[in-house]
Amino acid sequence: MTKPIPIVQTRSTSSIKANKLLGDIASYLLLLFGSLIMVGPFLWMISTSLKLPADQFSRSFIPDPITFSNYTRLWELLPFTRLIINSLTISVLSTVGQLLTCAMAGFCFAVIDFPYRRLLFLALLSTVMLPPQITLVPNFILFRWLGLIGTQVPLWLPAFWGGAFGTFLLRQYFLTIPFELAEAARIDGASLMAIFLRVYLPLAQPALAALAIFSFMGAWNDLLGPLIYLPTDLERTTLTVGLSLFQTQYSGRWTVMMAGALVSVLPVILLFLVAQRRFIEGIALSGVKR
Amino acid sequence: MHAGIKPLGGERWWLVVLLFPTMIGLLFGALGSVLATIVISLLNWDLITPPTWAGFANYTSLLSDTLFLRAMRITVLFSLAYVPGTIILSLLIALLLNRKLFGLSLFRTIYFLPTVSSAVAVGLVWSWIYGRERGLLNYLLSFVGIAPINWLGSQNALWSIVIVNIWGALGTGMVIFLAGLQAIPREYYEAGSLDGAVGWKAFRYITLPLITPSIFFQTIITTVHAFQAFEYVYVLTRTANGASNAPTLVYSIYRNGFNFFRMGTASAQAIVLALMILLLTLCYFWLERRLVVYD
Amino acid sequence: MRAPEELAVWNAIVEAFHAANPNIRVKVEVSDWDSYWDKLKTLYAGGTPPDVFAMDAPLYPDWQSRGVLLNMQPYIDATPGMFDDIYPNTLTAYKRDDGYYGLPRDFQTVVLYYNKDMFDEAQLPYPDESWTYEKLREVAKALTKDVDGDGIIDQFGFSPDLWDMETFWSSALWSHGAEVISEDYSKTLLGEPKAREVWRYIAAMVLEDKSVPTPAVSAEYGGDPFAAGRSAMAMSGHWVVPEYAQLDFAWDVAPMPSGPAGRFTSVNSAGFVIAKDSKNPDAAWEFVKFAVGKEGQQRLTELGFAIPVLKSIAESSTFLEQQSAPIKHQIFLDAMEYARPKPTFAGYEEWASIIGDGLVPVWNDEQDLDSTLDEIVPAADEVLAR
Repeated sequence: MTKPIPIVQTRSTSSIKANKLLGDIASYLLLLFGSLIMVGPFLWMISTSLKLPADQFSRSFIPDPITFSNYTRLWELLPFTRLIINSLTISVLSTVGQLLTCAMAGFCFAVIDFPYRRLLFLALLSTVMLPPQITLVPNFILFRWLGLIGTQVPLWLPAFWGGAFGTFLLRQYFLTIPFELAEAARIDGASLMAIFLRVYLPLAQPALAALAIFSFMGAWNDLLGPLIYLPTDLERTTLTVGLSLFQTQYSGRWTVMMAGALVSVLPVILLFLVAQRRFIEGIALSGVKR
Repeated sequence: MHAGIKPLGGERWWLVVLLFPTMIGLLFGALGSVLATIVISLLNWDLITPPTWAGFANYTSLLSDTLFLRAMRITVLFSLAYVPGTIILSLLIALLLNRKLFGLSLFRTIYFLPTVSSAVAVGLVWSWIYGRERGLLNYLLSFVGIAPINWLGSQNALWSIVIVNIWGALGTGMVIFLAGLQAIPREYYEAGSLDGAVGWKAFRYITLPLITPSIFFQTIITTVHAFQAFEYVYVLTRTANGASNAPTLVYSIYRNGFNFFRMGTASAQAIVLALMILLLTLCYFWLERRLVVYD
Repeated sequence: MRAPEELAVWNAIVEAFHAANPNIRVKVEVSDWDSYWDKLKTLYAGGTPPDVFAMDAPLYPDWQSRGVLLNMQPYIDATPGMFDDIYPNTLTAYKRDDGYYGLPRDFQTVVLYYNKDMFDEAQLPYPDESWTYEKLREVAKALTKDVDGDGIIDQFGFSPDLWDMETFWSSALWSHGAEVISEDYSKTLLGEPKAREVWRYIAAMVLEDKSVPTPAVSAEYGGDPFAAGRSAMAMSGHWVVPEYAQLDFAWDVAPMPSGPAGRFTSVNSAGFVIAKDSKNPDAAWEFVKFAVGKEGQQRLTELGFAIPVLKSIAESSTFLEQQSAPIKHQIFLDAMEYARPKPTFAGYEEWASIIGDGLVPVWNDEQDLDSTLDEIVPAADEVLAR
């Protein structure tokens, strides 16, 4: 290398810095613009839900006057409390089922040495590619045979027979826990179940939390399942289906519909805000490591 | 695979217990379902009267079924727009966020909101935004002199739901790419900058090759999602008599199976859908061997 | 239709039924008309059909041909005078060669609804029996306006349902000498030259006069711009009366307009059927008999959403002088004189979707009328051929 280099370097660092600043500003502008598109529909939802029905076609963003009457109207029009309870029941049971069975299987695939482990794991993994629609008709027929159509059971029971995605997610996480811990516990005479319950489960809390949110969200937002299994009956169906029924029955009453939409997205958004770190880690985990 | 603990004596029963639910799911939920769907696809069955044997009639009739062919075309067009759209945009957002800007977690939360929200609820707002005369979007476009567009009519419904679906999928894509980007060691860029690899060149020769695993993963996931698009189609494009302005394959399966109770036709379509996904996945894995870089 | 209100009436009917038949217990479930069909199919597919359930005449052939409904003929034979008081043309839809697999419980004739306030404001006379389809178009155009001058029409002249034949276009076709479907239900006649004239008449109102909102615009007003106070006229059956009774403007009904081929409207009935596998067919029949009998019909009429099938009740003050909706209910009965039954045939649901949904792009000005008809008519015939 020759002498002028130091000078060239200082010049380039300053121009790199200027470039970096310009780039940052451009990035901010792009990100802000994008954010507007991402939250815009939510803001419009809130804004419309606070307008008087007579003002529903007003394009002003700030409602004038602000009213909460749409929310009280909501509870008059639909058995909203009932729908929320139904949605909660199904979502919670699904979450419990997934956590339990996926943790059990994930632990086996990550920690225990047993015959055909690799083969079984690959078989399970390949079912991720299976479109859920292919199980739709057989499951329907199975539950019909069991006499469970019209009950909530078909909506949460399948969560208790495991799931490829959840098992994969938890297995990946279990693998990041140093295997020496299990070995040490084994030398101390711990049984398989003790290793599972006392060593692995407590350490896997972030992954369990991520899976819990995934399952809860999936069940809460599911449309096709309740549409097929529950007669479109406001006493038994979920909030999601109730809302889509609302769309046909009260269409044109945009202020009330937006209030309904907001009430139904709020629980999941709150859950997400509380646990977003774990949730995002969970997704990143499923996508990067193989 | 790596080593593991060997179960001793009675512990083998615990192993069986732990694996039992998953194996039931694998056996009945997956394998059984596939077999059952194949069998049902060979029957004429409305679930009410006893089934009759149809042979391959449910498949051959698909070839002349204009509604099915339309659903096929729409599903393919949907995927062709949705998969690249989601990947390019979410990669762009991840790249912007990876500049270690102030407020990163706030942006991340904002971009993620649509992903966690119920498609039905969000679909309602979009149907309101997409309104022909009173909708927000046409109102905003009128300021730049664009004449009102019938977003959810038969001409545009497909592209309108592609937009909403991409909007809803950016969050997941962004997080996966962000994790991939953050896993690239800084030294690579430092070393690269000495060789003049900055800006576009750094992206082209350092970033892009190193995140091919993430891109590969995202491509598979979004393709599978594209072929399963249902919720926004149901909420945004359903017509008064129960058809759709942009009927995807899944919508067609739903309508045949659970509106008209033609289980045979619905199952045959589900099998076609599964085969398409299988074929694409095989293509991707073939491409993976040629294009994806693992370190 | 509001389910809770309907449930209250049905519970009253059931109570009266219980009083008359102390050894039979009935459990009622009510849902709104749109979701009812999904619910019924799920119950059926789930293997737990109800004993007695409601039926829409156009869907009856599909259900009947599946062999899942009970033939009521033996019971009817054992009940002399059963049909004496029932409007005969409500019965035809349920008749099969070997008897009745369902009985009508009420019916709907379609008439012209108009917003009195809008007519008063424009100082135009209300619609009457002298109206023709040309007059309808002319007045609709006169009543269409952009009130606040923002380039968006705020008041439409006329807002019929365009996706379904029942409320508007079947009547318009018949009045112009065109037909919906061949007599043997094997051929869709909507592409014939005479029918095309009517389609062009409708297209002119939607796309040239802009006096009829496009389906996309109509959707923004909840699919019923008349109820939203955005349209001066609409066509509908009696089922909207309870909902419209709560509107905050004055409205009434008038006969359908007449065309070159005369005056026509559509009549359609809802009925009751009994599941073939019902474990208590005798009890189920007792309930059906009660519901189409004097006492059941009286109660049903009080509900206010339909016209009773019993002549004596329809012509009584129970129907003609409804407290909640002081309009000219006689118009609905008079419409029977010029009404034709809404066509009923197997495959109706799919056929209606191909035609109704298929024409929507035309009304939205996205597709050409003639080429669309050339495409959907053969597709509809394919369904009829199955």
